[in-house]
Amino acid sequence: MATLSYEEPFIRITGLKKSFGEQKTLQGVDLDIYHGETLVLIGPSGEGKSVLLKHIIGLLNPDDGKVELEGTDLSHMKERELLKMRRRMGYLFQNAALFDSLTVAQNVAFPLLEAGLRNRAEIYKRVQEALELVELGEHKDKMPVNLSGGMRKRVGIARAIIGKPDCVLYDEPTAGLDPIVTDVIDLMIQRLQKRFQVTSIVITHDMGSVFKIADRVAMLKNGVIYFIGTPDEMKQSPDPEIQNFIAGRSGMCA
Amino acid sequence: MNFPFGILSISGRWFLDFLAYLGELGALTGELVESIKLGAVRGRLMLQQIVTIGYGSQAVVIVTGAFTGAVFTAQSYFKFKDFGIESSVGGIVSVSLFRELGPVLAGLMVTGRVGASMAAEIGTMKVSEQIDALRVMGAHPVDYLVLPRFLAMLISMPLLISECIAFGLAASFIVGTGIFNIPYAWYWKHVVDHTALEDVSFSMIKGFVFGILIVLISCHQGLIANNGAVGVGLGTTRAVVYSSLSLLVCNFFLTFLLNYFFPLGSAL
Repeated sequence: MATLSYEEPFIRITGLKKSFGEQKTLQGVDLDIYHGETLVLIGPSGEGKSVLLKHIIGLLNPDDGKVELEGTDLSHMKERELLKMRRRMGYLFQNAALFDSLTVAQNVAFPLLEAGLRNRAEIYKRVQEALELVELGEHKDKMPVNLSGGMRKRVGIARAIIGKPDCVLYDEPTAGLDPIVTDVIDLMIQRLQKRFQVTSIVITHDMGSVFKIADRVAMLKNGVIYFIGTPDEMKQSPDPEIQNFIAGRSGMCA
Repeated sequence: MNFPFGILSISGRWFLDFLAYLGELGALTGELVESIKLGAVRGRLMLQQIVTIGYGSQAVVIVTGAFTGAVFTAQSYFKFKDFGIESSVGGIVSVSLFRELGPVLAGLMVTGRVGASMAAEIGTMKVSEQIDALRVMGAHPVDYLVLPRFLAMLISMPLLISECIAFGLAASFIVGTGIFNIPYAWYWKHVVDHTALEDVSFSMIKGFVFGILIVLISCHQGLIANNGAVGVGLGTTRAVVYSSLSLLVCNFFLTFLLNYFFPLGSAL
């Protein structure tokens, strides 16, 4: 956005708290995300990374704190107001969440149709482009149940990016994919950022991806942002917790 | 806990749960009204649902209507014969079909066939995050899932009930005149004499109310499903049980209310 300087955060999260029954998942998360950056969210499983991502797009309401998108507070908006805001974002679900009743192409075209696009030729062209980007061009007429887990995830990515959103949230885009496709996805995230200045927030456990794509890395642990900084800063951090996470050491003996 | 307080607290909790449930249904109705006001009708989805709900339920409803009309005719005939008024069987069968049996039986069959599938389909979408996917892409789940089913039901239900009644009457006619040898003219005269436009209104109003109940209750159970396959199963069971029971209870009150506006016997 030309009207905003780089210093104004695109998304600002302040004091975000969320509990599910007894379990306090988020306990005061503060995080700024800037225009055009790729922020990678890492941290142990079950610490609320997906929950944080769902707050950013307004799928969950916080118990306390707020999420602002360019200064607009999303946390107490009505669902119908949120729908408009969400069209600026793309979201990849951990399990892809494709519609069973629609073909791959219909799934990918869904955001375009929802945005009101009716030109069939244009829709067809953009669906084809998006599917080719994730190397699934020839599978467009299949039903989601007939795809492998990795293919479903890639369809999910195509669906998340087809509407040319300002910001894409990826929940484990490369989990369960082979190394070559992982590289394709990583490159695609980078390409979207370079070409269209798309802001990306990526949850991943793949440290290789982290160093390849991240402008900044945030580590979520015990319900708060435990570390935030560039990949280099993370590498050089003296904190043993961070170093163990990078190296994949549990501290247990065989 | 002491005897009276234990029962009080349990029944109190049931009552509160029931109120909360009504509140949730009310909220869903509010969303639906807003969706209608915004004109968020998706024609293609509505047509698909008309095919599923209306076109697909015909066989079930026709068989139900026909056999009910047939047995009702037989039972009435056996009793009426004692009084020598067997030719008026057509009248009682027709009035019963229009006022009660048609709407209630068609409603119950649609509940079992359509309500269950609505709850299961929407519930599966809920637990596999497809509902969240709709929301993320800017589609309101009520606009996309509930409204097309609601409108399709409003269109289908009166037609299904009409079919149920028509086949019930036809079966009754065949049994009455074919098996019990009631003269055609007498049979038909009694049907026409005892059936009025009020009875038709009765069946149509009941049909609309039952259709709305089935859609709201079943879609609600789908939308609140959680806990994976177990939750979807539970939601589907509840959708059928709650829809059927509320349909029967509502039918009782509707009968009294509608009888005030369209009293029985006005045809004579």
